[in-house]
This record gives sequence, C-alpha cells and structure tokens, in this order.
Amino acid sequence: MDPASFEASAVPHMNALHDAALRLAGDPATAQDLTQETFLRALRSFDTFRPGSNIRAWLLRIQYNLFCTEYRRGRRIPVVWLDEGGDDPALDPPSFEPGPEEQTIRELDREAVRRAIARLPEDFRMAVTLVDIHGLSCGEAATVMDVPRGTILSRLHRARRRLEAMLLPELGRVQADDL
Amino acid sequence: MTCEEFQARLTALSLGELEPAEAAAAREHVAHCSECASGVLLDRQLTALLRASVVPAPEAARSSILAALRAEAARLPGRGAADGTEPRAAGSPRPPRRRHWVALGLAALTAAAVLALAVLLVPSPDAGSPLAAAWKSYHRQPVAAGTAPTEQVEHRLYAVLGPTAHTPDLSDVGLRAIGWDARTLAGHLAVAAEYRDAAGRRFMLMRWRGELPRMASAPDGEDDQLEVYRWGRHASAWWQTDGVVWCLIGTVDEPTLYRVAEHLARES
Repeated sequence: MDPASFEASAVPHMNALHDAALRLAGDPATAQDLTQETFLRALRSFDTFRPGSNIRAWLLRIQYNLFCTEYRRGRRIPVVWLDEGGDDPALDPPSFEPGPEEQTIRELDREAVRRAIARLPEDFRMAVTLVDIHGLSCGEAATVMDVPRGTILSRLHRARRRLEAMLLPELGRVQADDL
Repeated sequence: MTCEEFQARLTALSLGELEPAEAAAAREHVAHCSECASGVLLDRQLTALLRASVVPAPEAARSSILAALRAEAARLPGRGAADGTEPRAAGSPRPPRRRHWVALGLAALTAAAVLALAVLLVPSPDAGSPLAAAWKSYHRQPVAAGTAPTEQVEHRLYAVLGPTAHTPDLSDVGLRAIGWDARTLAGHLAVAAEYRDAAGRRFMLMRWRGELPRMASAPDGEDDQLEVYRWGRHASAWWQTDGVVWCLIGTVDEPTLYRVAEHLARES
C-alpha cells in the first residue's frame, strides 16, 4: 500500500465526499468528522481497493457504512435538541466564503435546491446524492447502499417527482431562461 | 407506449438505464407527445439543478483532513500494512492462524451486551440546559482558525470568568489551540476554545459561570466530580471549579478525552 498513491487517487474526491457527508449528517462539523474518518479508513484498507474500479464509489461506500454504523446512532441526542430548536441544520448555509461556482449556483437559488433535497427521506436523499449529484451509476449506488439496482431506480424516480413538485418555481425559471 | 408507461420509465431513460428496445420505444413516444417531451425537459433541468448544488469542502476542512491523512500515513507501520500489523519480512513464513472462535464469539456477545446497556443507561442533558447548548454549539459552531474576540468582549469575559477565561495551553497533552471566541449558552456568557491534536481531531473547551447542570437520570455527585459521557464518536467531560463550569467535548475515544480533562482539571 502506497500512501502517496492513495492520496493522488482519493483526495480529488474530497469535495464529493464532504458534500455527501453534509447531506447525510446535516451539519458542517459532523460532515468534516465523517469525511476525515472515511479517508482514514480508506487509507488503512486501500489494499482492498480493486484498481480500475470507481474509487469515488468505493469511498462513498465506506462513508455510507460508517454513517450507518456509527454516526446515525451517535446523532441520537443532538438530533433531538436540534428539532427542539425548530431549525434544521441541513438548511443552514456552511460558513465559508463563496467562490465562483457558488455564485453561479446562487443564481438558481441554491438554497431552495438544498432545502428540497434535505426534505427528502434519507434513503431517497442518498440515492439522489450518489447518482444525480455525484454521478454514480445505479449499479454503483446499489453497491454503496447494499440494495438491488431496481430499488435505487425506484427511489430516484420517486425522489425526482417530489423534487420537481418542490422546485417547480425554480424549474420554471430555468425553463424560461432557456427559451 | 402510453404516456403512463413513459412516465414510469422517465428516470431510467434519463439515466440511460433502459434496455435498448425500451429506450427506442420511449424515444418514439416522446417524439410524438408534447406533454411527455415537456416532462423530459423538466427532468433534464432538475438534473442540472441538482448537479449545480454541490457544496465544495471549505478550505479549513480540506487542510485539516489532509493533515490527518498524512499523519495517519506516517504512522502506518512500514507504510505498508493496512491493518495496523507489522509487515512480515520477505520470505518469512506466515504465522499460524489462531482460531479462537469461541473466545471471539463470547467477546463479541459481551461487547454487544455492554453496548446495549450503555445505550440504555447513558443519560441525556435537559434540553434547555447549558450542557445541551454546549453540545449543540460544538456541532454547529466550530471556532474558526485564528478567531479571537474583540478587546471589549475579551474584557467582559475576564470580568465574568476571571482568569478562567484564559485559553489553557494544552501542548503538554498534544493539543494545539487554533482559536477562541465568546458565545451564549442557554443565557450564560461562555468562552469557547478549539483545539486540534496531531491527527486533526477536534476538541472544544467551553467555560461559563453557573451551576453544573445534572444529567437527566444521572445520580447526584460531588460538585468537583469529573463526569465523562460518550455518544457515538463524540465524548464529553464536564466539571465545576469555583463556580465555573468546564465542558470539554471531542471527537475522540474516551481515554484520550479523560486524559485531557484530568490535565485541565488539575491545572484549573
């Protein structure tokens, strides 16, 4: 196992992992912890990675397993408190300076998109995150979530219809801009 | 293909997951149905909107994760063993495998029982207490690197907390202070300092003047007693000294947190 090779292969996917962690965990601090722990575990088991396969899918699978086995349980108490506050951490913008990409997203009201995704049930949200946002195939997403490929397709279909309903004003605006 | 059949296959079509014959039938349908064509357009726009919603990792998070990764890589024995064991010398025979299945099974069963008991017994702080607010603060408001309060706020902190407001030097226990600030926890003015260890793991120390709130369902203890609790990957310790509550939270194992807390309790 070569740490330099691991870094060269895995670190370019840090944005995808952090973004997926943020959507899963809902708050920036936990997302950072989850992303870091994912990288550390992946480094330790890099020998098991099959060269030529999709390393992003491999990393996301480690992250999802970690979230399910440790973070979801660990979130038990904070989730109660946050609900009592009446606000949803998933809806809070992260505290960092916006870059050019973010400026573009703002034009499309990124907040509305994030809000809509955060409202999806966890299984739907993860399917959308893996396939629609981070470009995994349905087969790869099925491996990450350990469900049949048909289940991923079904979740995506239902999630998309819900998102369309929630984001209709945004989609209408994009459509009008396209014409 | 009917409109209903097409709508049921729209997502699979967009993702290129339909069989060739089905995809051809779907395309044939959409070529003659303006309503379904509009649905396809909407679906494509939704995909574009979703892809554009990616939030890049903040630079501070990237640096911290990279530092932790490099520290871990340097620690790996021989930079070759992924499971933490020492690598075998070339040509040396593989040590015989021990098959203590019964012992392993018993250990796993005991661990599961202890875990289940811990989950049942770990108390939760009152939702309105400063401890609950401290937990929330740790999760949602990390102290950014280089942060410090204004001079006016600093005076106010020292007026309320005295020398306790000073950010302790924890380099003896391998922690580096990265910033500190003032915040309000359930109506109490508090000072928060954030630390990182060599592996990039977070610690946050918060102090405020007040009574040490009791954990719901926790037995009453001595005022200066150090209490350590753990939920998932997060551990916390709190204690009270001269009317000031100290609360240390970290994404670390319990012994590490306990060691830091004891050091602080001794110094304070």
